[in-house]
Amino acid sequence: MSRWLDKLSGVIPIGLAPAVLLVIAVVAGGVVLARGKTQERADITVWTFSNTHYDTFKQTVPGFRRHMSPESIPGIDLQLVHYRVLDRRLRSTMWAGMDVPDLVEVNFNRAGTFFRGPVDQVGFIDLTPYLQRKDDAGQTYLERILPSRLAAYTDRGRVFGLPHDVHPYAIAYRRDIFEAEGIDPESLETWEDFIEAGQKLTIPDKQYMLQLDDTGVLSFEALLLQRGGGFFDSGGALTIDNETAVQSMLWFVPLVAGPQRISDNPAAQGQAFYKAVGDGYIVCFLCPDWLTKKIEMNLPQLAGKLALMPIPAVTPGGRRTTVRSGTMFGITADTPDPELAWELATYLYFDPDQVGPRFRQTNTLPANRDAWEDPAFQEPRAYWSNQSIGELYINLADQAPTQYSSPFQEQAAAKVGQVIAGACAYYRQHGDVGFEAYVRKSLRDQAKAVRNQIQRNPF
Amino acid sequence: MRLVRLLLLYTCLVIASVVMLVPLVWLIAAAFKQGEDFFVYDFFPPPGRLSLNNFRSLFDQLPFLSFLVNSLFVSSTTVVIQLAFSSLGGFALAKYEFRGKRAVMFLMLSTLVIPPEVLLAPLYELIYRLGLMDSYRGLIAPHAVSVFGMFLFAQSMKQVPDDLLLAGRVDGCTEFGLYWRVVMPVSRPMIGAFCLIAFMSSWNSFIWPLIVLHSQDNFTLPLGLNQMVGVYKEDYGALMAGTLLSVLPVAVLFFALQKEFVAGLTTGAVKG
Amino acid sequence: MWYRIQSRYAPYLFISPFLLLFALFWAYPLTQSLRLSFYATSGPGSQVYIGLDNFRFLLSDPDFHLAVWNTLIYALFVVVVQLPLSLGLAVLLNRPGLRLRNVFRFVFFSPHLMGTVFASVLFGLIFAPRFGVFNRVLHLMVGLPMNTRWLGDADLVMPAIIILSLWLNVGFYMIYLLAALQGVRQDLYEAARVDGAGPWVRFRHVTLPGIWPVLLFVMVISTIGAFRVFELPWLLLQSTTGPDQSGLFIVTYLYQNGFEAADLGYASAIGWLLTAGVMLLTLVQLRLGGLGRGGES
Repeated sequence: MSRWLDKLSGVIPIGLAPAVLLVIAVVAGGVVLARGKTQERADITVWTFSNTHYDTFKQTVPGFRRHMSPESIPGIDLQLVHYRVLDRRLRSTMWAGMDVPDLVEVNFNRAGTFFRGPVDQVGFIDLTPYLQRKDDAGQTYLERILPSRLAAYTDRGRVFGLPHDVHPYAIAYRRDIFEAEGIDPESLETWEDFIEAGQKLTIPDKQYMLQLDDTGVLSFEALLLQRGGGFFDSGGALTIDNETAVQSMLWFVPLVAGPQRISDNPAAQGQAFYKAVGDGYIVCFLCPDWLTKKIEMNLPQLAGKLALMPIPAVTPGGRRTTVRSGTMFGITADTPDPELAWELATYLYFDPDQVGPRFRQTNTLPANRDAWEDPAFQEPRAYWSNQSIGELYINLADQAPTQYSSPFQEQAAAKVGQVIAGACAYYRQHGDVGFEAYVRKSLRDQAKAVRNQIQRNPF
Repeated sequence: MRLVRLLLLYTCLVIASVVMLVPLVWLIAAAFKQGEDFFVYDFFPPPGRLSLNNFRSLFDQLPFLSFLVNSLFVSSTTVVIQLAFSSLGGFALAKYEFRGKRAVMFLMLSTLVIPPEVLLAPLYELIYRLGLMDSYRGLIAPHAVSVFGMFLFAQSMKQVPDDLLLAGRVDGCTEFGLYWRVVMPVSRPMIGAFCLIAFMSSWNSFIWPLIVLHSQDNFTLPLGLNQMVGVYKEDYGALMAGTLLSVLPVAVLFFALQKEFVAGLTTGAVKG
Repeated sequence: MWYRIQSRYAPYLFISPFLLLFALFWAYPLTQSLRLSFYATSGPGSQVYIGLDNFRFLLSDPDFHLAVWNTLIYALFVVVVQLPLSLGLAVLLNRPGLRLRNVFRFVFFSPHLMGTVFASVLFGLIFAPRFGVFNRVLHLMVGLPMNTRWLGDADLVMPAIIILSLWLNVGFYMIYLLAALQGVRQDLYEAARVDGAGPWVRFRHVTLPGIWPVLLFVMVISTIGAFRVFELPWLLLQSTTGPDQSGLFIVTYLYQNGFEAADLGYASAIGWLLTAGVMLLTLVQLRLGGLGRGGES
């Protein structure tokens, strides 16, 4: 073999490698050319970053073509753009002013960055006039969509995004473990009750009551929102160092650090997280609606052993849920046909025929309440101990707090995450001594850093 | 005494090898492990539980073969073009004195030093203006010359004896003829080395293709596989399977070109 | 006649592909980027001239200070740990008559074949607490607690990043150094041995000078690479800067400010500052290493 190679390479003056590569280039190039490009001129381009959304949209799109009158069936180019690149690419295209998609799904975390700048130069159109239109039933979308979700994508009075979801949070718990320990979920009405039960259940290094993120804001942000706080207020001002935030931090840290903690954080998501739940290392975890589907897919062995309960209230009778993040559909300002884009967006999100099957497929609650009347939402789920998780989340949805987007959402999240990491380290070392002063200072310092950045921004 | 030292030597090497290989072995094991077993078994599950599920899942979810062909095309084309341009440029640097040579070298150094992230947005706009978005021409063109390669070739070509060139010129050889018939054949090892380095670099490149390529049909392997780790989807088993398959072509190439690779670097390293 | 012309202009022709491509795909975007660094930008058509404000803010931003600090630490370890390791392995492999040299060489190089992208994702799983194979092995060997959160503990993130970087790159640089070692003339060693020089002395006076150009080259390249680090920690930490921003590096900071906060002007300013710093450092290294002129390596 190698002799043959040597002979061959003797023939070609510059060596075997380039020759081989040239051959590969030609052959592969041939395949690529032969594959050809299915470049039908698309009338409308849609970008999404979520595999799940992409799959459901692909299923929905054929229905749209029939929905429109046959003379005007548009060519729809549906693209799955990777999450980590979508907003960068969107920004680049907007910046260059070319090749901009018509409809694009943007994650909450990034949405605020697109609302910056002079209001008439924002890359998305204001959807308010469309939302105010009455449909056949005499209703407007403004009435149908949960206001708290619209507020997330509203900036300076203009609605730039159509909300996709509600993402209410519940707590998922191991029903079998609760039963074995004689804990009744109904009795856990406030956080005090929950923490008390947690301290009974928690066995250090073996079993923890709750999984909470102690290196970032994945848990804290949601819990802060439950308490009526948030990173930003409706005016876009930073609120990570206000009194609610401080009190929330003071409450949160001892849960995840220190001798009395009821929480551990083997992993916030992914295989390691599922393993921890499957092992019973984690008994409960914060569970937004979309997570239930992932749990079902990744932990088949726990079928029938998990159930959902509303989040314990902060004070008796208080809010039993929270939210975090989400997705919106934006219609870009450069689109030649906003009407078409609007039709497609509302069809993809709100078409009544799709709502039921979609819920069964994704367990995600859409943002328009009239959809919730679909029977699919009432179905009991065997996996979740025969609970109707749709019903549970629907009941929670109205209590959902409002989360306001901001261009500085990610900076704020990073800074608060730093505070959490630092505060946990402090608490582990010093406990309560000087803890409040530390937290106040830490939040104030980080808030100052973010405000500096906000002030730099001339827009 | 010598035996002890020899033993020590081999022990060190073996330990180092183990350290290098453990993650790769884990990768191979992970590719063949079923979902539930992922963190149950440290490395390989018992033979009965080995499965090709991950590969099946991989091919189900992604047009993997397509990605493979795309990567092959992009990388081999890039290398061939880079080889041509870089060796030419390196030859000029090695064997000629010309006006502006030092300026050229300064420019070259600057390209190695400046982080490409600075250029991403303006380059993206430029590619679009030229109508090359989502095309392989747009992907490859900005990297058609490898400055690193130019340095390598300059270094190795310096060692070609000037007498050879002189003799060639006396025989009436054109400068390009010198390049093609005298210097390049002598630079065989460096060519092999460069091909490998350039291929690897192109094969594993991530950010630029991510920005330029839009349609999934055009994706290269890193892009295609990265889709498996997203906000709403994680399938680490399939990802490991795909990673394994993606690394194989490069490994094969290296195995085949090992001798030339090292020989090329040797010529490059030895200074007159 | 033609012969004379082509003979004269040949080098310019040969260098022209580089020059053309450089002008189009490097110089032009770069000047755009330079112009931008004096502006604050936000998306389509929003550009406001602010003079040196970007640079002023940059130099006073504690986040940037942290990024620079992290990058310096990382670069330091790359030079101080990675290089000796590469050299050490190369020396071991250079021993004449070593069996299986090619096998060892392939093994040591194979991590680099994986590429940063895939390796970072892989190590994201390997470093997992409680189940990751890294903790498993260390637990078995030295009793490290299984709970060690390499990517979740601010103090452990940098070591984890460095470990991954070592794993990826030691073999790569080893190849260069091995090639250089094999180029050192054997008779010099003989002469030294005859003079009674021990192995360490031989190393310092024969080996090191012999491989010095390559060693310097590798040092410069790896330093530059260290300052440009981004994909490795970014992908390892799953597109975050890690707990307490322990994974924040200069280019990470640039990326976040340019492509996530969408201020290309600010990002350009950062890029230019980084460039200036790195070029300065490179020049210093080269001067100290005795290769002041343009011919690197």
